Amino acid sequence: MALLEGQGLSKRFGGVAALDGVNFAVEQGTIVGLIGPNGAGKTTLFNVVAGMFRPDSGRVLFRGEDVTNLPANTICRMGIARTFQVTRPFLKMTCLENVAVAMINSPRSEHGRDWRRAARTYLDYVELGHLASTEARYLNVVQKKRLEIARALATKPELVMLDEVLGGLNTQEIGRAVEFVKRLRDERKLTICWIEHVMGAIMGAAEKVIVLDQGKHLMEGPPDAVVKDQRVIQAYLGD
Amino acid sequence: MRAKGLTVTEKRVLISLFVVSGLLCFLPPGLSVYQQHVLIVSLFYVMMASSWNLVAGYTGQVSFAHAAFAGIGAYTSGILAAKAGINPWVGVVAGAAAAALLGLAVGVLCLKMGGIYLSLTTLGFSEILRIIITNEYEVTRGTMGLQIPGLFAEYSKLSYFYVMLVGALFTLIVVRLLIHSNLGLNFRAVQNDERAASSLGVNVVQVRLLAFTFSSALAGMAGALYGHYLLLITPEIPSLDQQFLVLSMTVIGGMGSFFGPILGAFSLEILSEYIRAYGEYHVLAFGLVALVVARFAPNGLVGLITSRRDKKASPAAAA
Repeated sequence: MALLEGQGLSKRFGGVAALDGVNFAVEQGTIVGLIGPNGAGKTTLFNVVAGMFRPDSGRVLFRGEDVTNLPANTICRMGIARTFQVTRPFLKMTCLENVAVAMINSPRSEHGRDWRRAARTYLDYVELGHLASTEARYLNVVQKKRLEIARALATKPELVMLDEVLGGLNTQEIGRAVEFVKRLRDERKLTICWIEHVMGAIMGAAEKVIVLDQGKHLMEGPPDAVVKDQRVIQAYLGD
Repeated sequence: MRAKGLTVTEKRVLISLFVVSGLLCFLPPGLSVYQQHVLIVSLFYVMMASSWNLVAGYTGQVSFAHAAFAGIGAYTSGILAAKAGINPWVGVVAGAAAAALLGLAVGVLCLKMGGIYLSLTTLGFSEILRIIITNEYEVTRGTMGLQIPGLFAEYSKLSYFYVMLVGALFTLIVVRLLIHSNLGLNFRAVQNDERAASSLGVNVVQVRLLAFTFSSALAGMAGALYGHYLLLITPEIPSLDQQFLVLSMTVIGGMGSFFGPILGAFSLEILSEYIRAYGEYHVLAFGLVALVVARFAPNGLVGLITSRRDKKASPAAAA
């Protein structure tokens, strides 16, 4: 059984169908890439799963349980964490406090009374330990993305949805980031659903890639099959 | 709440609060009755501004019903004492409880809306309350005011000063412990970014509701104590004028900071004594002060002090 499953998900914004009957499945312990041209509906799909938007129709199943219209905070407590494409740190709180908020609201977090030390380990994990007591507004874009990941991990999720975490990185850094995401899967036994524009990164890490185009599920399959697919090439390059 | 495990700065802040209050204790006997009065009123505003800061400064909900909740506290305690002969000290607790309950009810009604709708609803609530108090002459004596018994058998400004000092200290300690508890982290997370907070598991509506209820209870207590000091309660206490005064004190002192409202309450109350002679114009003067502060010190008087320190510390830390 898939850990996360979407069945016939649709979401319209005014006249635009951001999602149009999308079916998808994310198997436990895998990295699933979610790609597609701009406006394909990738982030909308994340928002629907995370409880930010209610879908107009369709269902979201997590561990086989219907979680479709649950509020965002409940979804998070059930074990689905997400990062935001445009990062949303708590700007006037320190990095440590940013992570602490995620910890103290998670029923699975075993931090006890001493959340400071526990929160610090998450910051160290994303190499932000030295900025623990700096307010998040002083971070640069890359550091903010790392903070997003630290917060997501601190909720002790089973599934992490990463929304374009590689923006602003150079080739060498991308290589390291991909290794980092793989380690999340292998060492922390996480399941990862990953939106990314940097194709090479997704291709090197994902077991399965799902392609969205204009709100529709275009195709899915192993990365090497997807890049060769004529429909995918057309979606990206046009006719 | 994490009563244990206070950090070093926490202990320092609490100790300095006690030390300053201790020093204040020795001050009033040397002061004139009028100066004692000004101090007592200032302490009332410290309670009001600090507890309003809890909702406005730390969770970002601008409520206009804070003076109204003080009025609930004052009238609950006052009517119980004047009409039912209940001990005023018990009345103060009852007043705080009544304000908390009403705060909870108003909160349930309008906190889901948030933002400007919350402000409008609380503004409406405040006006409704004022109109009820003004018109229920049989119970409240309307604008004539209701004479109520004091807290002590023998009237003494000095005793009231100590009561208000303890009340203010209590309010400040509750606020401080709250904002440094796990709940306080959630308060600030909600204020910083609601959507991010909810995506990290924070129940935004519940967090706002708790802040609102705590804040209302503290306002109720402040109002009840103040009422028993004045011995005559009028619709002035829950008026919007009062509300805007509390708002100005918080904003000018520094919204969202712990010491801001304290500083704002003392400086504006003392300032208003100096410009009282100019009658209605003193409102204009407050407006001007607020404008100048908003333009040159958007984080209030406290912001002026801390920004200097931050300028030194932050860029180095972020590098």
